[in-house]
Amino acid sequence: MSRVSRPDPARAELDARVLAWMREPGFAADEARFDALARDLFAFQVAHCPPYARFCEARGRTPERVASWREIPAVPTGAFKELALRSFPPERTCKVFRTSGTTDERRGALHLDTVTVYEASLGPTFERFVLPDLAPGERALFAVLAAAPGEAPDSSLSHMFGALLARRGAEGSRFFVRGGRLDVDALLKALGAAAQRPEPIALCGTAFAFVHLLEALEAGGRALRLPETARLMETGGFKGRARERSRDELYAELEARLGVPPARVVNQYGMTELGSQFYDSVLREPDAPRRKLGPPWARARVVDPESGEECAPGEVGLLAVVDLANTGSVLALQTADVARSLGDGFELVGRAPGAEARGCSIAADALLGATG
Amino acid sequence: MSAGAAVGPRADAASLRRELERLREAGRALRARPAAERLDALGAALERFRDPGSDARRILLDGLPRSAGFARATVERGLALALEGFGADALRSLYARELGADRAAGRAARLATGFASTAVLLAGAIPPGSLVSLVAPLALGSPVLARPSASDPHTAAALAQTLAALDRGLADAFAVARFDARDDGALDAFLSADCVVATGSDATVARVAARVEPPRRLVAYGHRVSFAALGPEASRGAALADACRALALDVALWDQLGCLSPVSLLVAGDAAAARSAAEALAAALEALAGELPRGAAEPAAAAQAAHERAEAELRAAARGDVALFAGRAATVVAEADARLDRPAPLHRFVRVHPVRDAAGVSRALAPHAAQLACVGAAGFGAAAADLARALAELGASRICPLGRMQAPPLDWCHDNQGVLLPLARLSDAELADPGAPPG
Repeated sequence: MSRVSRPDPARAELDARVLAWMREPGFAADEARFDALARDLFAFQVAHCPPYARFCEARGRTPERVASWREIPAVPTGAFKELALRSFPPERTCKVFRTSGTTDERRGALHLDTVTVYEASLGPTFERFVLPDLAPGERALFAVLAAAPGEAPDSSLSHMFGALLARRGAEGSRFFVRGGRLDVDALLKALGAAAQRPEPIALCGTAFAFVHLLEALEAGGRALRLPETARLMETGGFKGRARERSRDELYAELEARLGVPPARVVNQYGMTELGSQFYDSVLREPDAPRRKLGPPWARARVVDPESGEECAPGEVGLLAVVDLANTGSVLALQTADVARSLGDGFELVGRAPGAEARGCSIAADALLGATG
Repeated sequence: MSAGAAVGPRADAASLRRELERLREAGRALRARPAAERLDALGAALERFRDPGSDARRILLDGLPRSAGFARATVERGLALALEGFGADALRSLYARELGADRAAGRAARLATGFASTAVLLAGAIPPGSLVSLVAPLALGSPVLARPSASDPHTAAALAQTLAALDRGLADAFAVARFDARDDGALDAFLSADCVVATGSDATVARVAARVEPPRRLVAYGHRVSFAALGPEASRGAALADACRALALDVALWDQLGCLSPVSLLVAGDAAAARSAAEALAAALEALAGELPRGAAEPAAAAQAAHERAEAELRAAARGDVALFAGRAATVVAEADARLDRPAPLHRFVRVHPVRDAAGVSRALAPHAAQLACVGAAGFGAAAADLARALAELGASRICPLGRMQAPPLDWCHDNQGVLLPLARLSDAELADPGAPPG
């Protein structure tokens, strides 16, 4: 693997067009621009990613037959566990992000020849949806409930937090997961000190880590009251804890134990295979219904699992994403997650179960929430 | 609160504890009756379930398509096959097999008694297993407080109605509870029964286990997975077609949602043999769908099936070592390897894998030993006995012919346990005359 970022020169012009959009202020949606870039990128990826090309050919959806970005064949995210879906020569690989899992499990891998586009996408999106009240350049005090990039070099989430700390983190911002353990004492000490500082607190991490924090606070009979300017960002699932929770229950407990109301808790929808992320709208549009919104260079569609046709607004279906930040891999992805289309955004209804060879349906028959 | 009626519809902790007390009282009367009398009455109840024209069958036939999404024809066929062996004789035979008096010279008499109360937490959408879980404690004289699953609230209700029509004492000793399991108080009250039978996901079983401590008894049934295997004598020609027709029934019944539903087929042979078997199975599933249409899937299940179908399509196009047979009614993927760790979306989605021989079957299944339920097999000829021994060694609780996977006998040792024994309090009576044998 190359130690330096060396984007494929053949893709330079495309990357430059995508980067230009990401670096423009205003987050302007532009359907024509998105469509043109998506179809150009699709054509490039078909030419440079043989497995994807064969898939598109089998579906009869080659670049010359695709009239709109909506027709670009979407690759199921599970395929990243089976195939190296990269649109550049393997020797140019500078970074590989892997999905979470144990060493015994097959893990999905996103191969990158540059992190420039990835980082250019994540910064403005996070700022728009998690730091919308901060002045340009104003820094927040980040407390991250995840491992630092040095400790988890193949974690896209750790990389994202690392990039965000460098971009908007005030002095003292840091990671609180080490050796796979959340350092609760250090975190509580840091949060106590942070309450005396002028910068707003951004407490970010995996939902799993937040649950761990809540359990530690509960065990110690402790509760904090973070300043009104604090905000929480959580991501990922949290099943498997001794006591499972719904997201509403999690947010209620976060309010009770940290003093941060649900209106200031943002869920991020992202995945290793995606270069861009989607966030809850609550901080950006506090008076509008909570829904997931993303940057203008990533578009989410909710499609019928059987027909593949786009669902009507309000209907539940499979979430598919076309993400221009995926310049080096494949831009159109089909997740296994279930969502409901809500105007300019979507609501996540359920995330796909893990990759275990699930047997009978009772494997999914969690007691939680079921009223028999 | 009337006998056999539902507690609730949203029972709280206090009402559940009151109901358990009432049941304990009814249980005393139930245990005072001769076991043979209890077995006769419960046998008559099972016969009602076996009768296609009974009210119990009508309740299930009308209800399950609504609550679980099954096609009515699938419920009809599934019940007919599964309940054909659930008669009065089978119940008496089960009792005698597991708890019959051992009068061998010099041995103590073993007496079996039911617990003062049994709480039964049900899961899933498939009635036969639930019916066994509900009837077994009653056979021992233990009253039952049942919490049905959301997808099958009908089996417990049908049993309550059947008992009410047949036997007042049994009806008094049976109640159905509905409560929000997020209510810790209600859950604790329900689980305060003297014996708890819990069926559910690993997380559910763990949550229940944390709340049921000795001396109270917990009998847990976690999630299980089943497989099918084809030997060389069934991997081509008419034998292959016959085997795939039988396997298609095993897959299609209950839309592959049961712990006895095969999720993968292992074919002794090369990749070409696996591909042929996949093609034949896909054809059999399509043909069967005319008679037994696939039911509705929840959005999350449909999403996962679509995702896995597309993933197989991509691998088929990209590498050519995978073949996808996706029809209107089912999806069959011919894999190139024997790795069984890919997702199983259920709802008539089968992966077919090549293995070298019968030994390869057990090698491939070894990583799933802890969850192994049933293996349906055909075509292994003289190697079948060795295969069965190897699978039993792994932990399979049932090895049966294809086409019979959804018809376990009443005394099937579900999760490698007995049916009645785990629910019984046993005593060895070493006095000269310990009394009359059970039954």
